[in-house]
Amino acid sequence: MKNSTTISISSDPNTDIACRTIDKKERSLLRKVIDRIADRCRSRSLFILHYCTGCGAIELPPTITSRFDSERLGIQPMVTPRQADILLITGYLSVKTLKRVILSYEQMQGPKYVIGMGSCTINGGMYWNSYATIKRLQEYMPVDLYIAGCMPRPEAIQEGFLQLMDKIDKGQANAWETYYQNYDAYLGNQQALFGPNWHTPTDVIAEAQHYNFLTEKSIGQHTALLAKFASEYVTQPIPNKVLSQEEAVE
Amino acid sequence: MSEQLPSVLESVFREIPNLAFEEKGARRLRVKLRADTLPALLELLKGRAGYLHLSAISCVDWPTLNEFELVYHLWSYEIKTLISAHIYIPKVPGRYVSVYDIYTPAAFFERDIHEMFGVYFDGSPDMEPFILTEWEGPPPMLKSFSTVDYVEKTFKWQDYSPLVND
Ligand code: SF4
Repeated sequence: MKNSTTISISSDPNTDIACRTIDKKERSLLRKVIDRIADRCRSRSLFILHYCTGCGAIELPPTITSRFDSERLGIQPMVTPRQADILLITGYLSVKTLKRVILSYEQMQGPKYVIGMGSCTINGGMYWNSYATIKRLQEYMPVDLYIAGCMPRPEAIQEGFLQLMDKIDKGQANAWETYYQNYDAYLGNQQALFGPNWHTPTDVIAEAQHYNFLTEKSIGQHTALLAKFASEYVTQPIPNKVLSQEEAVE
Repeated sequence: MSEQLPSVLESVFREIPNLAFEEKGARRLRVKLRADTLPALLELLKGRAGYLHLSAISCVDWPTLNEFELVYHLWSYEIKTLISAHIYIPKVPGRYVSVYDIYTPAAFFERDIHEMFGVYFDGSPDMEPFILTEWEGPPPMLKSFSTVDYVEKTFKWQDYSPLVND
């Protein structure tokens, strides 16, 4: 693959060669086979971000440790978002916590998977009439899988993990791509809750462009509001170039 | 009833005008008094009866009254009786004096009540929001604030909803 003649290396000086944009035509049969193998390997080695939000988190210690031992499935906790694959939302999310969850989610590298665990993440659960908690997680970030229950037992969580692994294996766990493809809508929902000044330090639009997921729905009236923070953060309402590494690190 | 009351408590209670008390059970006393006499009661209890521990201040918003009820829960390691002192303060303007100078933990309880009910405590060291730092609505524990209405206005449901009238 590496030295295949079909790969043209972009002359754009800002493009990191290792992370260059891949042309659609490049996805040859061999490439598809490799993707398939990669997906299979990926589904066997997953790290959950160690970030617990609601009471459902109490089911995680038995799930991860000796009794149910999710390491059998290749799933382990990880302490930082940058090295994690799975964001497990373990219960109710207050509006304040949601902000932190979005910050963590945006820092995770693709491909990344979100599991909404517990009834609270699905439709508010027993906190359906609370002013402080959000009701539907999927409005604010794409969710791959929900695990119903209040709280789901470790068996149910394992079952969810197995389903996610199966989806990854089949190449169907692509919810994270929709965050880039429909970023304007997700940002709109976030702004409706947090106010028009909501912004994160992550340059999602540039990332979308980088991953080649930029669509006409990635940018819109909501991302336009980010313009006033463009100087403070990297975020630009309409990017005209892929960020260089130095800019991205800033 | 007052035979069982420790004499030191009896002497304290006698000094406060218009104080009524009731034994709710072994080691539980419910005391009702005028709002302006509460600091005096706390001082006396602390000084004479070893009531060093203010374990909580709670606030009740009675929807049918124009007053908030404030309850000060006190514990003495000598007398080993819980005293709950109940006072009523008018909802408008909703101000009361801080007892921070008598019990420092009061600062935290008063800040919490200010955040949840909007009661302002004069002399409390910090009346800034504590948990609801990012909340702009009215104090949410007020009975006049309908959380269900707020939820309906702010959030959307899945195809099904927990609201009965749907
Ligand atoms: S679904 Fe149940 S267990 Fe989970 S966070 Fe909500 S109330 Fe707690």
